Amino acid sequence: MQGIARGVVVQLVQQTQMPESVIERRGRVNWREAAWGYFFILPGILGVLIFTFAPVFTALGISFTNWSILARPEWVGIDNYVRMATDPVFAKVMRNTFYYTIVSVPLNLVVSLFFAIILNQKIRGLAFFRTAYFLPVISASVAVSMVWMWLLDSNFGLINLGLVRIGLSPVPWLSSPVTAMPAIIIVSVWRSMGWNMIIFLAALQDVPEDLYAAGKIDGAGNWQLFRNITFPLITPAIFFTTITGFIGSFQGFDLVYNMTQGGPARATSVVGYYIWETAFKYSKMGYGSAMAYVLFGIILVITLVQWRVRRRWVFGEE
Amino acid sequence: MASQAHTSQYTYVYKRSMPATIWHLVKRIFAYSMLTLGAFIMIVPFLWMVSTSFKTLEQTFVWPPLLIPPTLRWDNYARMFELVDFGLYTWNTLKIALVVTFGQLLTSSMAGYAFARLRFPGRETLFLIYLATMMIPGVVVLIPNFIVMRNLGLVNTHLGLMLPALTSAFGTFLMRQFFLGFPSELEDAAKLDGCNPLSFYFRILIPLSTPILATLGVMTFQGTWNDFLWPLIMLSSASKRTLQVGLSFMIGPNSTDWPLLMAGSVLTLLPIIVLFFFAQKYFVQSIKMTGLKG
Repeated sequence: MQGIARGVVVQLVQQTQMPESVIERRGRVNWREAAWGYFFILPGILGVLIFTFAPVFTALGISFTNWSILARPEWVGIDNYVRMATDPVFAKVMRNTFYYTIVSVPLNLVVSLFFAIILNQKIRGLAFFRTAYFLPVISASVAVSMVWMWLLDSNFGLINLGLVRIGLSPVPWLSSPVTAMPAIIIVSVWRSMGWNMIIFLAALQDVPEDLYAAGKIDGAGNWQLFRNITFPLITPAIFFTTITGFIGSFQGFDLVYNMTQGGPARATSVVGYYIWETAFKYSKMGYGSAMAYVLFGIILVITLVQWRVRRRWVFGEE
Repeated sequence: MASQAHTSQYTYVYKRSMPATIWHLVKRIFAYSMLTLGAFIMIVPFLWMVSTSFKTLEQTFVWPPLLIPPTLRWDNYARMFELVDFGLYTWNTLKIALVVTFGQLLTSSMAGYAFARLRFPGRETLFLIYLATMMIPGVVVLIPNFIVMRNLGLVNTHLGLMLPALTSAFGTFLMRQFFLGFPSELEDAAKLDGCNPLSFYFRILIPLSTPILATLGVMTFQGTWNDFLWPLIMLSSASKRTLQVGLSFMIGPNSTDWPLLMAGSVLTLLPIIVLFFFAQKYFVQSIKMTGLKG
C-alpha cells in the first residue's frame, strides 16, 4: 500500500512528460525485437493487470451489489451509495479520518523538517541519530502498537507513571474517546517521522552551498536565508511528503486495528478500519466496495487539487 | 562537506568575535539537546520493549519502574513458543518474504528492461497503464482481490497471499528508470557478439544492476515481512499465519501479559533490525529513491 502511495507521487513529479527514449521510432516494426519485448513484459503485465488494473473495475461493479460472500451477488443499483449518505457510522468514520489526517500530516511535516534542518549541520554522530530516527520506520505496525499500548497503559504505563511523578494527573489515553485519537496520532507520527526526515535531509543536502554564500554577502540573516533559499528549494520534497502523507493516512488501518479496534465508542474508527469491518467481519462486500470507491474518489480529488495548486508554491513549477 | 563551507564562511564574517562564539555555542547546545531528546523518544519504546520482555508479570507493576530487571528471565520467550507455534510463523513469514522478493525482482527487472530498451507495438499504452495503476489506493483492490482468490480456491493459502505481490508497478518503474541510464554501447557490443536479449539480460544487465536490485530487494523484503492487512484477510487457519498476524492474535487473550507480548514483539522485529544494520545504505537509498530522485 505504501508503495502505491509513493508511486503516485513519483509519477506526478517525474512523469509529466514522456522521456524521449519511450517515444517510438517511426518505421517498420522489428518483430523479432518485439517478440522479446512481449516475452519480458508478460509476467509483470499479467500480475499488474489482474491484481491492480482489473480490480478497479470489478470493485466498481461490486459496489452496486448486495453481496455477502457466501450467497450470490444481488444487483441493487446505487443503494449502497444512498445508504452511505445516511449511515451515521460512515459520517463518524469520515470525520475521524479527516481529524486524523489534518492533524497527523502537518505535525509529521513540521517535526521531521525541524530535525532534518538540525541534522543538516556539521553534527557529530550523524549516523547514530539517523539510525535512531529511522528505527521506527522499519518496525512492524503490530509490535509498535503493542509497545505503545503498554507505554500508554492507564495504570502501569511508563507515560502515566511519569506524569504522576512530576505531579500531573494520569491520562486515560486509549480508554477515553477524547484522548484515544490523539494517542494514535502521536504513535503514527513517531512511527513515520523518520521517513519524511530522510527525504528532507536529502533535499537539504542538495541545496547548493554557493547560494548561501551569495546570500550572506548580500547581508541576509539566517532566517532570510531559510525563507528565501532553503525553503523554496525544498518545496518539491514538502509537496511529495504531503501528498504521500495524505494518501497513506486516508487508508490508515494497522494501528487502529491493533491498538483500539476502532474504539472506545468508535472514537478511533477511521474509514480504512470501517471498510475492513464491513467487508471482512460482516461480509458485506458490496457496501465495503462502495466505501472504498468513495475513499478512492476523495484521495483522487485531494491529490489533483494539491497537484493543481502546487504551481503557486512549489519551486520550479511555474 | 557542505556544512564545512558554511562554518568557515561564518567564522570569516565574524572573525571569531566573542559574542559570535557564544552564539555559536548556544546554537550547538540547542542542536545537540534537541537531537538527543528526539533520539531518546525514538529509542525508549524499543528499550522498554526489551526490558519488559525479561521481566516477570509482578515486576511490571513495581514503582519505580525497573529498567534492567535483577535477573534476565528468558521465560517469556519460551512461553511465546509454547503458546503458539512461533517457529512455524517465522518460517511462514520468511518463506513468503523471500518468494515475494525474488518474484518482484525478477518480474520488475524483466518488464523494466522491456520498457527501457526494447521496442514493440503497444509499449506506450502498457506503460501508461502501469503508471495509472500506481495511482490506485491499496484499499480499493483489497475486496476484488480477495474475491478472485476465493473463486480460485486460494483463500487461506500462501500461494494466494503471495500472487498479487509477485509483480509491482512501482518496482518496474524503478528498474526502468535505472535501465534508461544504461550506456547503449554495452547493448550494441553485446548484439555484435551475437547476444540475444535474454542472454544480455542475464549475463550483462543483471550483474551490473546489483545496487538497484539490492535496494528494491530490501524494500520489498521489509514490506512483506511487516505486511499486515492482506495476510490478516487471507489467512484463517492458525498454522498458516505470518508473524504479524500471529502476534496480533495474541493481544486479545493476553491483553495485560506485557512481558509475553513484548517478547513476541522483540522476536518479530529482530530479523528486520538485524537486516537493517547490515544493509542500512540500501534502506536509506530506497527512501531517497521513492522521493524525488527516482
